[in-house]
Amino acid sequence: MLMPTQITRHIQLWLIVFGICLMSACSNGEDAAKKLKSNFDAPHPTSPGGTMIDAMTGEPSGLIAMIAGESAASAIAGNIFNSLLKYDKNLDLTGELAQSWEVSADQRTITFHLKPNLKWADQRPLSSADVLFTWQKVTDDNTRTPYGSDFKLVSKAEAPDAQTFRVTYAVPYAPALDTWAGLHILPKHLLQDQDINNTAFARHPVGSHYYKLSDWKNGQYLKLSRNPYASQGQANIEHLLSRIIPDKAAQFLELSADNIDSMALNPIQYARIFPSRPDLSNNIGLYKELGNSYSYMGFNLKRKPFDDVRVRQAINYAIDKQEIIDGVLLGLGEPVASPYKPGTRWSNPKLKPYPYDPNKARTLLREAGFADTNGDGILEKDGKPFSFEILTNQNKEREMTAVLIQRRLKEVGIEVNIRVLEWASFLGRFIKPKQFDAVVLGWSLSLDPDQYGIWHSSQQAPGQFNFISYSNPQADKLLEAGRIELNPDKRMKIYHAFSKILLEDSPVIYLSAGYGLSAIHKRVKGISSPAPAAGIGHNTYEWFIPKAYYRNEMNDQ
Amino acid sequence: MASYLLKRILWMMPLLLGISLISFFIMHLAPGDITTSEASFNPKASEESRQKLRALYNLDKPVIVQYGLWVKRLAKLDFGTSFASHQRPVFWQTTDKDGNVTLGMIQEALPITLLINVLSLLLIIGIALPLGVISALKQNQWPDRGITMFVFLGFAIPGFWLALMLMYWTGVQHSWLPISGLESMGHENLTWPAQIWDTLQHLVLPVFISAITGLAGISLFVRNGMLDVLHQDYITTARAKGLNENKIIYGHALRNALLPLITIFGLSIPGLIGGSVIAESIFAIPGMGKLFYDAVLMRDFPVIMGILTIGAILTMLGNLLADVSYAWADPRVRRGAM
Repeated sequence: MLMPTQITRHIQLWLIVFGICLMSACSNGEDAAKKLKSNFDAPHPTSPGGTMIDAMTGEPSGLIAMIAGESAASAIAGNIFNSLLKYDKNLDLTGELAQSWEVSADQRTITFHLKPNLKWADQRPLSSADVLFTWQKVTDDNTRTPYGSDFKLVSKAEAPDAQTFRVTYAVPYAPALDTWAGLHILPKHLLQDQDINNTAFARHPVGSHYYKLSDWKNGQYLKLSRNPYASQGQANIEHLLSRIIPDKAAQFLELSADNIDSMALNPIQYARIFPSRPDLSNNIGLYKELGNSYSYMGFNLKRKPFDDVRVRQAINYAIDKQEIIDGVLLGLGEPVASPYKPGTRWSNPKLKPYPYDPNKARTLLREAGFADTNGDGILEKDGKPFSFEILTNQNKEREMTAVLIQRRLKEVGIEVNIRVLEWASFLGRFIKPKQFDAVVLGWSLSLDPDQYGIWHSSQQAPGQFNFISYSNPQADKLLEAGRIELNPDKRMKIYHAFSKILLEDSPVIYLSAGYGLSAIHKRVKGISSPAPAAGIGHNTYEWFIPKAYYRNEMNDQ
Repeated sequence: MASYLLKRILWMMPLLLGISLISFFIMHLAPGDITTSEASFNPKASEESRQKLRALYNLDKPVIVQYGLWVKRLAKLDFGTSFASHQRPVFWQTTDKDGNVTLGMIQEALPITLLINVLSLLLIIGIALPLGVISALKQNQWPDRGITMFVFLGFAIPGFWLALMLMYWTGVQHSWLPISGLESMGHENLTWPAQIWDTLQHLVLPVFISAITGLAGISLFVRNGMLDVLHQDYITTARAKGLNENKIIYGHALRNALLPLITIFGLSIPGLIGGSVIAESIFAIPGMGKLFYDAVLMRDFPVIMGILTIGAILTMLGNLLADVSYAWADPRVRRGAM
């Protein structure tokens, strides 16, 4: 047995050991020195050079974006490869490899004129033959890409001379220009006798953009260095280093220790941790921008009572979207009223989200024939209680959203159960066979307004994206018209009208559009804030790091 | 002995086939395949394209046919190429016609995981053995209680939490240790002693975290083994004939108490190749745990099967090794079994 005196003696001993640890912890001079040199706000002239280190959660599987598909691959490959067109900071299309382009009078033929003297990073000339080759690869049945269908609509592609590339569509296809802004042009001379599906090129890419890959350590980092023959001029920062750190908390520790310069934050890090840590805000700038995605609750319109528009509207009125934005996103989001990014031309500024109005919800439900006949607090119709299930996949934000919806709907007399599933079974067992009442999900959208695949009544087969079975002849007509109209102003009117119908029909309830949140060290200069429509990343090539702020270990470069 | 070994190894073949068959079918019981990941739920990727991909990967064929194709390739010791990682070879490197070498996924991940797990196993043994012996000798006295408390605390503390706290303390508050990763930036420019030192620094926390959770099991095992042995008649006899206490404990008791540990180590061989997903994610270490976890999430069947098969082979070899070492260490087994 332990005697009381022995206990105290040992507690004393441990306290001493612990205290020594603490003391040595406090007397560390290096940290104090590090904190002193932290005035990053002084003005500096633009200068080339330096290394910027960021962190990403996943590793690209390869750098041919059409085959790799994941976001990590597109992010890195976007610095290496060019497309014919790109979006400028106001999200309007402009030429990248193409100097100009023309659309024929019948809107079926697009002719691209390439900029003169384009070169690959290996100094070989870049010509329309490379563009034609890329189109042939993306439409080839042996190419393992899921993105071929847009390009298969091209009935004829030709390269009449080295500077000209012409595509002809069987019918006018309005999203065509957007698809050409998303296709990375690949070098024919390196890939023509390779199997694109497993070529070593995916790990040793040669592109034409600002950077080229200089080092790739599997599972650790990818390092890009400036491409001296870049088609768009020279970027300022010499090296971009992307470290692969799967855990967000570990990324944040690396950021706090000044080992990385930038990372994408989650709302808690942005809204809770940063304000409580002034030492971090000294060195690190925070940026927020509206992303290209929104979250929604979608109904299975084939199931009763969701086929009744009054029920859908009632539920829309009964849900407090601001509460979801505040509770789930910590206020870092906006309500939306159309499936288009607010502030862009496609988003109809006249549309307003359904306000939170539980009384109106009750009235609409009464009109739809629901009443609480047995006094249990749950509405009934034809003797059946109004009870349904919200499905969502394993995603903390979506789970929390579903819980908030559950509570608000209970207040108007609707009972909601929540089921959370792993993605593959969610998709395979519930979405494809349409075995669900309602889902909480999100859409990430391309910048083109065409959403034929999501809303057109012909797109309801298993595996297609109108899995909520939305069908409205008027909306169908507008979606078809928007697909063949290449004039931006006429297109805008079409999609504004379409958004209005969609809001009234309420086949989905728009919940929120969250902000993309990023932290970037203040040693990186030239960042435009507030971010333009295209986001803060639109001009990364203009960012620079003044020499005084280089990291020590980077001096040798 | 040789014929015994040969027999055991031959028996592994049907066993392996059975294990792989069951694994293959269980893997296909989970809904979804490589074309149904969350990232591919994108209106730009059409259903026809997904069907085409399925056909290219033979995923449209019946499971038994897919299994046959897999076994056919395995017979040539070919573990195939990954669906998700741009056709990287699953197991070992390949060289294309231009001489570009693509390293295998397991080939890269296995040495890293093995290194961490072997170091942590050595650390566990190095700490658990003395702790267990002290506990047994001071049974129910304060050192025993203190040690038991300590090892259970290590067992009970969530590893990821402790990892993050230590990373914050040793990496952010003080620049004592690197926070994550395996190498510092610019590692390749260092001299080789500096490179080893750099890697060792990166390994301190991952090895410590994986050792602290394993300490409880082994040290209690040693403690109980020692206690059992110390109550045996031959120890009483040894004491009665006046043997030196050190000689009794280390020469007679400990040696016998360690016998069951052979089984434990034999069984821990497959564990050595299976990394911890959580630790590897937090420390950004590209090891086996992360590889397997990602493969399961992506339904990357060749990678899943590759890891399971190699794990099965190593488990069986581990068992064999344990049995053989038993025979070597314990004369009673030697006479009975062979």
